[in-house]
Amino acid sequence: MKCEEIKEMLPAYGDEQQATLELRRHLSRCSDCRAEVDRYEALSGGLRALASITAEPPARLLTALIDIPARRTRIDEARDHVVRHRGRYLGGLAGAAAVAGTAALWRTRARRLAAA
Amino acid sequence: MKRLKTTGGPAPRELVSPDLIERCTRGDEAAWRELVEATHRDVYTLCLRILGDPHDASEATQDTYLKVWRNLRGFRGDAMFSTWLYRVATNTAISKHRGRSRRRAREAGVGEEVMEQIPATGSVEAAAGAKVEVARLEDALAVLSPMYREAVVLRDVYGLGIDELAKQLGISETAAKVRVHRGRKKLKDMLFSEEDL
Repeated sequence: MKCEEIKEMLPAYGDEQQATLELRRHLSRCSDCRAEVDRYEALSGGLRALASITAEPPARLLTALIDIPARRTRIDEARDHVVRHRGRYLGGLAGAAAVAGTAALWRTRARRLAAA
Repeated sequence: MKRLKTTGGPAPRELVSPDLIERCTRGDEAAWRELVEATHRDVYTLCLRILGDPHDASEATQDTYLKVWRNLRGFRGDAMFSTWLYRVATNTAISKHRGRSRRRAREAGVGEEVMEQIPATGSVEAAAGAKVEVARLEDALAVLSPMYREAVVLRDVYGLGIDELAKQLGISETAAKVRVHRGRKKLKDMLFSEEDL
């Protein structure tokens, strides 16, 4: 196998339980491809090391997360209130719509009369 | 990205006690605070590594904990809480990433791919036993195309199997393997310059 073909296989090298005989043979006599394996191994080690390293989140994030139960409670209470008093809210909305409709009709009629 | 604090070992590991989770399911807000304080750095870091943007990572972290709070009573304890938490965070971050990609593709009309050599701040040897500087690696991950970044992060940082990875990303195992391999190759090319070869 040529170096180009071997290098295409190397990103998966660490995943394979057993490298093929051909691959191992090539690596035993090709320092260029062995160096490439070393680079992938260094990369793999670096990526594994990241698992134990955390980034520092913004301070306000912690406050927002801690506040979730209280915020949810307030939202849930508001939703419960609306559901409990659905009739009144719907009645109020219907009343407001009726008033707005009447006012619009009255205005249209007044305009027509004025035009006549 | 603000760095970096070393914690005790590879994720996922159990971060909170069953008793604490039990108290949270009963609505104990002090227990919730304790749970958040113990876990939020890991969740934020996972989201940041998948999304590559601090603002998006903060939003994904908030969405994650909102889902956790809503569904905590449904957590049965037959899996590790941390595993469940990581799964929720991963799903949330991936969904966010998909939404963002669709938005950007609509806006730009193309999928972007940034490839560049990450400048070395110190020596990176290409010899056996060589180490990659963590800061350079984080920088390289940040500029890696998102679809490769999430595959490499989940596989090589968080140790997901190819089958789990494929499931999380909603793609075939073959496609998952291809993304991991291409991602590794691109990272390797960014980290090791021609003079190292």
